[in-house]
Amino acid sequence: MFEIGLTHYLVVATVLFVMGIFVMITKRNAIGILIGVEMVLNGANINLVAFNRYNGLGTIDGQMVSLFVIVLAAAEAALAVAICMNFYKNLNTVDVDRADALSG
Amino acid sequence: MSGLIAQISTWSPTVAEFLTFSPELAWAGTLCLVMLAPLAIGRNSRTTAGLALVGLAVTAFFTVRVMGMTAADGPKTGLTPDLIGGMLIADNLSLFFKLILLIFLVGVTILWMSVSADEEEDAPEFFVLLVGSALGMALMVSTHNLLMMVVAIEFASLPSYAIVGFNKKNREAAEASLKYMIFGAISASVMLYGLSLVYGFFGTFDLAQISANVGPVLMAGGANRLLVALGLFCVFVGIAFKISAVPFHFWCPDAFQGAKTEVTTWLSVASKAAGLLLLMRIVNLFAQNAGPAAMGGVAVVIAIIAAVTCTVGNLSAYRQRSVKRMLAYSSIAHAGYMLAAAAIFVKAEFVDSFSAMSAVLAYVVVYMLMNLGAFGVVALLESKNGGDDSIGAFSGLIRRAPLLAVPMLCCLVSLVGIPPFAGFMTKWYLLNALGEANQGLYWALVVVIVFNTLISLWYYMRVVVQMFLRDDDQPAFAIPISGALLVNVCGLMLIVLMIFSNPLKSHSDQYASDLFMPTASELAKARAVDSTDDPAELGELAEPGELAAREDSRNLRGDHGG
Repeated sequence: MFEIGLTHYLVVATVLFVMGIFVMITKRNAIGILIGVEMVLNGANINLVAFNRYNGLGTIDGQMVSLFVIVLAAAEAALAVAICMNFYKNLNTVDVDRADALSG
Repeated sequence: MSGLIAQISTWSPTVAEFLTFSPELAWAGTLCLVMLAPLAIGRNSRTTAGLALVGLAVTAFFTVRVMGMTAADGPKTGLTPDLIGGMLIADNLSLFFKLILLIFLVGVTILWMSVSADEEEDAPEFFVLLVGSALGMALMVSTHNLLMMVVAIEFASLPSYAIVGFNKKNREAAEASLKYMIFGAISASVMLYGLSLVYGFFGTFDLAQISANVGPVLMAGGANRLLVALGLFCVFVGIAFKISAVPFHFWCPDAFQGAKTEVTTWLSVASKAAGLLLLMRIVNLFAQNAGPAAMGGVAVVIAIIAAVTCTVGNLSAYRQRSVKRMLAYSSIAHAGYMLAAAAIFVKAEFVDSFSAMSAVLAYVVVYMLMNLGAFGVVALLESKNGGDDSIGAFSGLIRRAPLLAVPMLCCLVSLVGIPPFAGFMTKWYLLNALGEANQGLYWALVVVIVFNTLISLWYYMRVVVQMFLRDDDQPAFAIPISGALLVNVCGLMLIVLMIFSNPLKSHSDQYASDLFMPTASELAKARAVDSTDDPAELGELAEPGELAAREDSRNLRGDHGG
């Protein structure tokens, strides 16, 4: 068996990033877009922790920052869902294509 | 593994650090006060606004006090276990921006009190979000650590999403906050991914260290260069979103139109200015440490984005029927003008960067007055005619409410950049800085900005024509005295700052200086060595001779940027 190294983690992170971007572009549902955002953020977290583990500097700042990212993602998700709820109350949908009152 | 933990366990902030960052602490205290006060004294909107004003006054007092401290012994960093680079910086630039932000926040609060205070039931929550986003913006300008930068940008963004949609019953507000939040969440996630790539390559979050090592990587080419450039570009996307630079501007007109006008006023200046000053700090750091050769492409990218931003902003403003939306596009255009100055930093030549920074600071001050006045008039008018902000609502305003029409004229003409208003002076400083940089790229930007000024004239004048030359017999109305006072003071200040532009120039010179400068005490020494014949000139910072003297002192001191 081969050993799991930095590259493997980075591949997983990159796959998450690309999938997240793809979801953001293709989804029409606001919650779907937010799930794409979470995927990109988790890709960033895997990157941070993996780089920190393998860079040999003996510090833990990458892991600390990944904790910050988790907190930020949670705060953002809480607010985002509240805003989606508010949008749903006004329009009875969370389809972003229906957000067309403001344009021009 | 244990390095950082060992430091944390022994680290605690000193009294000096607490004093240096007392403005932020007072600001956070204001936040808590506004949030908790309703438990004790009930939910009265005017009391809440009054409490917020008191808290902001205390914050401003501490800011001025720390300004005195940094003027005496130079910029400080601190509040961090990391001994190499501080998480937060207290230098003249960040303190000056904090002061501007506080003044602007007071203006927005007064506007809110004269427009929305009476029907607002959730005033405490509104002020928590408003003051919170302000604190986030203040932190954005006081850091060059990537983590702090991301936290500050999110701290500024999250409350902004919420206040844009604060009017929960309104369909447009719900849509505006959804769009703002989705664009914001996407750009924040992309920025964090870029941050992780940059961290992976350099093993640090301190931009000073990153910029010191980035030069060879960018010069070398290959996969490393691609990776680092991609990471830095992703970080740039997050900042460009805050500035609403094209092509990251799509949220801006929608969010600004759907939000309450006070909120639009706040976001149109504060969030853009914070993003711009953050970008300038970072670009300056990179240019100083990595050298202009490695950064050549960056200048072109920023210049193209700036040129496209102001052109798209101005051309889109043309076909708007809603004055609020028109002013939103105009704010995109103005962000483009200011962004043009950021390209100058890449030259890493002290005199050019210095005049660019100074021009942008003066521009931010005057832009704040112009937007507070113009959006203030829109808000006051909307509060009297049931929320109609179409261009027709302005017809005959000089007869109906002369106290709104006259300041609106001042602000619009100043936004175009025509004398006798301060908007002309600041645009002149900006063009002057670009001209002094004296390269083909910067001259192209001068041409683009002048061309944009000409085309922007017509859409601003459409409103002026409606106010002064058309009249379709809409009824006259009375406006609240505080609101009238606010917009008229803004209009008057624009004229005053045009006539007495020297204080504006010398102050912005002074506050721009820290980014490039040795500390004030070293400056005093350099001056003493280099002393000119006229001792009165020592107090002035705007003299060309002084610039040369300071450049000498900088050279004596060696590379300051590290």
